[in-house]
Amino acid sequence: MGGEREERMDKKLIGRRDFMKSTLAGFGGLFFLPQIDIKQELRVVEAKGKEKKFVYRTLGKTGLKIPVINMGVMLTDNPNLIRTALDSGVLLLDTAHAYMAGRNEEVIGEVIKGRPRDSYYIASKVSLPQDRTTGLYTEGATTEEFLKKLDLSLKRLGLDYVDILYQHGVTRKESVAFEAVLKAFDKAKKDGKIRFTGISTHTNEPEVIHAATDSKAYDVILTAYNFKQKYYAEVRKAIARASQAGIGIVGMKAIRGGNQQPPTVKNITASLKWILQDPNVHTVVPGFTTFDQMEIDLSIMDDLTLTEPEKIELQKEASIRGLYCQGCRQCLGQCPEHLPIPDLMRAYMYTYGYRNLALAQDLIMSLNLPNRVCEDCGQCPVKCSIGFNVSGKIRDVVRIREVPQEFIG
Amino acid sequence: MKTVCLVLGIIIFLWAPGVKAQGFKFPEVTGWKQSGEIQTFSPKTLFEYINGAADLYLMYDFQELKVAEYLNEKKASVIVDVYRHKTPTHAFGIYSQERLSDANFINIGAQGYVEKNVLNFVSGPYYVKLNSYNTGAGDEEILLNFSKKVSENLGEKGRLPSILSSFPEEGKKKNSEKFIAKNFLGYSFLHSAFTADYELSGTKFKLFVIESDRKECKDMIQKYLQQTKSLEKNIAEGRYTISDPYHGEIELHWKGKYIWGILSLNDPSSRSKYLKLFEEGLRKRK
Repeated sequence: MGGEREERMDKKLIGRRDFMKSTLAGFGGLFFLPQIDIKQELRVVEAKGKEKKFVYRTLGKTGLKIPVINMGVMLTDNPNLIRTALDSGVLLLDTAHAYMAGRNEEVIGEVIKGRPRDSYYIASKVSLPQDRTTGLYTEGATTEEFLKKLDLSLKRLGLDYVDILYQHGVTRKESVAFEAVLKAFDKAKKDGKIRFTGISTHTNEPEVIHAATDSKAYDVILTAYNFKQKYYAEVRKAIARASQAGIGIVGMKAIRGGNQQPPTVKNITASLKWILQDPNVHTVVPGFTTFDQMEIDLSIMDDLTLTEPEKIELQKEASIRGLYCQGCRQCLGQCPEHLPIPDLMRAYMYTYGYRNLALAQDLIMSLNLPNRVCEDCGQCPVKCSIGFNVSGKIRDVVRIREVPQEFIG
Repeated sequence: MKTVCLVLGIIIFLWAPGVKAQGFKFPEVTGWKQSGEIQTFSPKTLFEYINGAADLYLMYDFQELKVAEYLNEKKASVIVDVYRHKTPTHAFGIYSQERLSDANFINIGAQGYVEKNVLNFVSGPYYVKLNSYNTGAGDEEILLNFSKKVSENLGEKGRLPSILSSFPEEGKKKNSEKFIAKNFLGYSFLHSAFTADYELSGTKFKLFVIESDRKECKDMIQKYLQQTKSLEKNIAEGRYTISDPYHGEIELHWKGKYIWGILSLNDPSSRSKYLKLFEEGLRKRK
């Protein structure tokens, strides 16, 4: 009897594994990473009379040892919530010069007043005027302006220095090594106003992360990263490269943010565990606004392992039909013209998701497609697993071949 | 029947609040030219414009942002951001989260203030933010001129939420009123609330009021008591003292569609006095 049951369970598990392989392999990346030996440390923290297990990782070359869950403060001006987070073992508070027009930093200043300076870390962000269409800096984006904003942030926080200062919201590789910002970082470091330099991104993340790694100018990268990103595999690769170069990686938009997706996910703890299964992510800064949310977020440190039910739930949620291909590759072999459909769908994502026309055109050109694409079949026999009109998307994206390169840049 | 439906449909469409916003036009300003296209951001794309700050705007039911940049011959520029929220209360809410209580307040929209290179105001469901660059000594005058022109195109300026007039005046820090859209006090069951900061003889405290329907108010009290392990069998209208593990002792009063209360004020007689003053204010609510 028992043996029969075991056998059935085995079959079930194999079925699940096959399902995972076939539906969520992504663009060359695994949806779930294999269990590996992650360099992390367990500490028992006493919070409000209770002992809690906290998982610590080292934030790259900064050497800062921090819990894997910290706090993004952007959504709350509740000092008691921030205070409770610190009292519960959170070490890093993440804010920005612009949040609540500065009140966010002021509230943090109020909370940390009187606490030993080595009992917490503060990360803030400063942005300079950008052309929001191109993502490039405009007139007024100067070293002086950057430093002026930093000084104001320090005043609001009541601090002599912040631990990490990010260049805020970078979307283009050209802006990563912007001279005015790098000069400001140099001066601020020399003056003891910042300990570590950082860059934050939630658009075109892979390009920005690679450029930040190449620039060698940054100690920390704060990036959007979650299981619903259609290009998570590319973010993951970029993060791995940055982490290998010694850069500390902080994840954001892991659960409640993610403006390019529904604002919430069904399973908060599984979503957090998903991002932390990546050993190159050193911490995450969820923006909790209630005590309950805080408890839930911190609770995952009891066990970071994704359970089988959690995995299935994440898979289902990630498979909900979106704008872009899920990379299941079930369409392979269905096209009578043997078109490389996953690659064409990737080009579609580059065009409409990344808005990176050059990347899309490079990819399309590399595929050696026939002159007429998806124009001669009476009815397309390709059945997409999530119901895309595949031929329509292909006809749309291959038009990029006709655009002269000088228009794409 | 079809004709009636069509006519009704047209009328509803024309009166719908969103139509006004779609019809909003950036004004012509003498001596200034609009530079480039008007940019529009939706809840899904707002973060492209204001990064992580977008999440807070989304909590306040942000609907749409339109951005225009104006340039003059001296290469000065003014950027006008017009945020549209679902209701005037939500627009006030996000404005109140960014408002500096000691700012230089001006008579524009329902309320506004001007500082160096910045002028912000709230008008109906709109939160308008003006930023100027290289405007030199005439900066304030330029911003005021722009704000008047923009305000004229937004229609009815509305007024600040009427419930704010219920807060007792004694000890109230001017312009400290806020609207918290969600998770008041860090509890999802408390929904939204209006708050104001007070100071009396060096003691700082906060007053708040939650407005909902009677049933919902009862439910909130019940959940709050459960949360704080204060057992109460029969939840009735009246006064409650709650020992909150995060906020300390909170004194509150429930009556009808209102729950009002005090945070961080220890003196019992002062608490009673303020709860009573607040009740009077709510009764006389304008």
